[in-house]
Amino acid sequence: MGTVASRWLTCPMCGFEFDRDDTLCAHGCPLGALCNLLMCPNCEYEFPETPRAISWLRGLLGRKQPAASRLPAGVRPVTQLAAGEKGEVLCLGGRNGSRYSTLSAFGLVQGSEVTLVQQRPSCVIRIGETELALDLEIAEEILVQPRP
Amino acid sequence: MAHCSAGNEGVVVSHDGEGAEGERTTLLLGNPNVGKSVLFKNLTHRYVTVSNYPGTTVEVVRARARFNGRETQVVDTPGINDLEPRSDDARVTLELLEQHRDAVIVQVADAKNLRRALLLTLQLAERGRSMVLVLNMFDELEERGGRIDTRRLSEILGVPVVTTVAPRDQGTSELVEALPAARAPRIHGPLATGAAPAGAGRSLPVLPPEPPGDGYEANRIRLERVKEILAETYSIEPPSHPSLRVRLGFWAMDPVKGLGFLAAVLLAVFWFVGLFGAGTLVDLLEVVGFQQHLNPLAIELADATLPFPHQHTTELISQPIGLPISPAHEVTVGTIERTVVLPEYSIPPGAELSARQHALRFVHDLLVGKYGTITMALSYAFAIVLPIVTTFFLVFSVLEDSGYFSRMAILLNRTFRRIGLNGKAVLPMILGLGCATMATMTTRILETRKERIITTMLLALAVPCSAQLGVLLAMMAALSPAAALVWLALVLSVLLLVGWLTARTFGGETSEFILEVPPMRRPQLANVLVKTASRLEWYLKEVIPIFVIGTAILFLLDKLRLLDGIARMGEPLVTGWLGLPPEMANAFLVGFMRRDFGAVYILDAMHAPQPLLSSHQVFVAMVTITLFMPCVANFLMIAREHGMKVAWRMAGFIFPFAFLVGGLVNRLGRWIPV
Repeated sequence: MGTVASRWLTCPMCGFEFDRDDTLCAHGCPLGALCNLLMCPNCEYEFPETPRAISWLRGLLGRKQPAASRLPAGVRPVTQLAAGEKGEVLCLGGRNGSRYSTLSAFGLVQGSEVTLVQQRPSCVIRIGETELALDLEIAEEILVQPRP
Repeated sequence: MAHCSAGNEGVVVSHDGEGAEGERTTLLLGNPNVGKSVLFKNLTHRYVTVSNYPGTTVEVVRARARFNGRETQVVDTPGINDLEPRSDDARVTLELLEQHRDAVIVQVADAKNLRRALLLTLQLAERGRSMVLVLNMFDELEERGGRIDTRRLSEILGVPVVTTVAPRDQGTSELVEALPAARAPRIHGPLATGAAPAGAGRSLPVLPPEPPGDGYEANRIRLERVKEILAETYSIEPPSHPSLRVRLGFWAMDPVKGLGFLAAVLLAVFWFVGLFGAGTLVDLLEVVGFQQHLNPLAIELADATLPFPHQHTTELISQPIGLPISPAHEVTVGTIERTVVLPEYSIPPGAELSARQHALRFVHDLLVGKYGTITMALSYAFAIVLPIVTTFFLVFSVLEDSGYFSRMAILLNRTFRRIGLNGKAVLPMILGLGCATMATMTTRILETRKERIITTMLLALAVPCSAQLGVLLAMMAALSPAAALVWLALVLSVLLLVGWLTARTFGGETSEFILEVPPMRRPQLANVLVKTASRLEWYLKEVIPIFVIGTAILFLLDKLRLLDGIARMGEPLVTGWLGLPPEMANAFLVGFMRRDFGAVYILDAMHAPQPLLSSHQVFVAMVTITLFMPCVANFLMIAREHGMKVAWRMAGFIFPFAFLVGGLVNRLGRWIPV
């Protein structure tokens, strides 16, 4: 996720997520490399890029950059359900066959209904009568469609 | 309660060859933490260590029993989630399945979690294994208002379905009666919904020839089938008002309340083990038991049988007995006073000892002298180590059975990640607070070699075992609370630092943290007691020989006047670098055999009539001995688990490192308000 987050930016104004190369003023701006502002291609809000030190500090405090991917309406990582909210698993994320098969042995597969128990310090989800604790990193890759 | 299968048309299975040739075997198999081991006990009346923590049955246990008049071998297997050889546990179980091709399989299921159980049942079905399905913990299901139509389930699967409540020994006889009716389950049994595909019966599953994603796709298809079966047979209501137990379970893993919970648990453990066990009980056993009664008795007996002219010193020993409230306060219940003979003696001036008397004196000293087997080795083992270890294992068993350790793993996962481990390493680490050797064996539950090595290393270096912890606590009582905090901070930072370094030295992956959280359960007293007893037995068998041999070596060295020589040899290190009196070399010498033994030695030096050590020196010695390798047994266990080379390397790092840190504390730590 880290490598993705460094290229993908989230506009602090409108929340639009975009590629660093898509920033509006990147081409032909006379300030060029001297300018350290980025402009959101959606709302044209200009903002400074988060310095490394700050992202590092955030990482240290356990605050992750928001997941940098564009998902269909409603779909979100299981960690972003509210505690007690249910969702249907759309994909287990990652390309990790052995993790897939481990999760499936606990009854977690595409189409399972999961309930979020808690997000931190480790994500705990319930699938039927099974409660499963997962690394946050794993849980963030599991995408669900919330259910009422 | 047993519902033997009604319709098993077309199911022809070679079930067990009707015991004609050889012996019958019954394999207990199932998901982790569903009560296989308790059921095993009910079936065979043999005890297995049972815990409310997935993956407790590390070793396979077998026992013989007579079922329906036939001699049968019963095998308890480590819990598995599916028939993929994912972990060592699963491999063991799979091998057993292969070895006993004609065994009857008793699949034990948590009745509440039928979904997971059926996932496994379907895999057994694919292999055509004849089995009985046991729905254990049926009471918990009913408590939750859940329902399982066992008759229908049995019809669909074509196998006997039995309900049991293992801790109360309910349903065991029904299970035994159902054993001869074991069949291979149908994969596509008749469903009312008509969902069963055409090739019902023994047809192979509709599985792709090579399931993608390492069995994932296969499990997904199985779970669809399970869903259909569940729809017809199973219902459970989510509890409208979670019980206190369930809420406790939530609190225990909550990021905020969980820490409070952890603090409360630690405090309770500290009180029970550190203050009550290492304080009150040790006082009772050591001073009252040994110093006031057993030692004098042993001395009198030795004097009577081994006569030579000598006069033992006598002293009035008074020991207040109290219940601790805090480290500094206790309610004194009473004081026990008694004038007793001490091991120290003087030989009347002018007395000449004959050769025979010299020999008698030698045996006398070996038994009840300063380094006597009874007065030193056994009194250490039984009076100091035993009460501490007993209280620790009691608490440990209670926590283990309650299901708290999994929650602790959830809390500590992120911290452990930094040292190349994940939350699953919590169990061996905590068990290490009881006995590092036992814990080293438990590192098998960890998935990668890297994790096993790091955990083993940290156990050997920085996790004090209960015996040592007790002695350390006793030492700390003589120091200030600040010293205790500095000690704790120091040990923790060593743990994190060395963990971090080892994680970088040893390449390889840390496994992903995917842990099933068991429900919180009320620990069963009998189970806790038996488990504590079996751990104690194991522990004492390890400890007593080493204590006796270690003391004998000390005794011999002392008799041969080598102790002073060794002390002189160790002087640059002990006196020069650590700034301790040369006599302390003895402490480190025995510390090589068992570090708690070394710690006891330091404690003795502190309590001597003329204290040998200043507070600062005690602190330095304490830190050094804490970081020693726990004991010879631990070294051997490391060699057994990881090979001699790894064991020597660890020892080669640990001992110099311990002295290094001790010396640094000596040089740089004078400001510490000990």
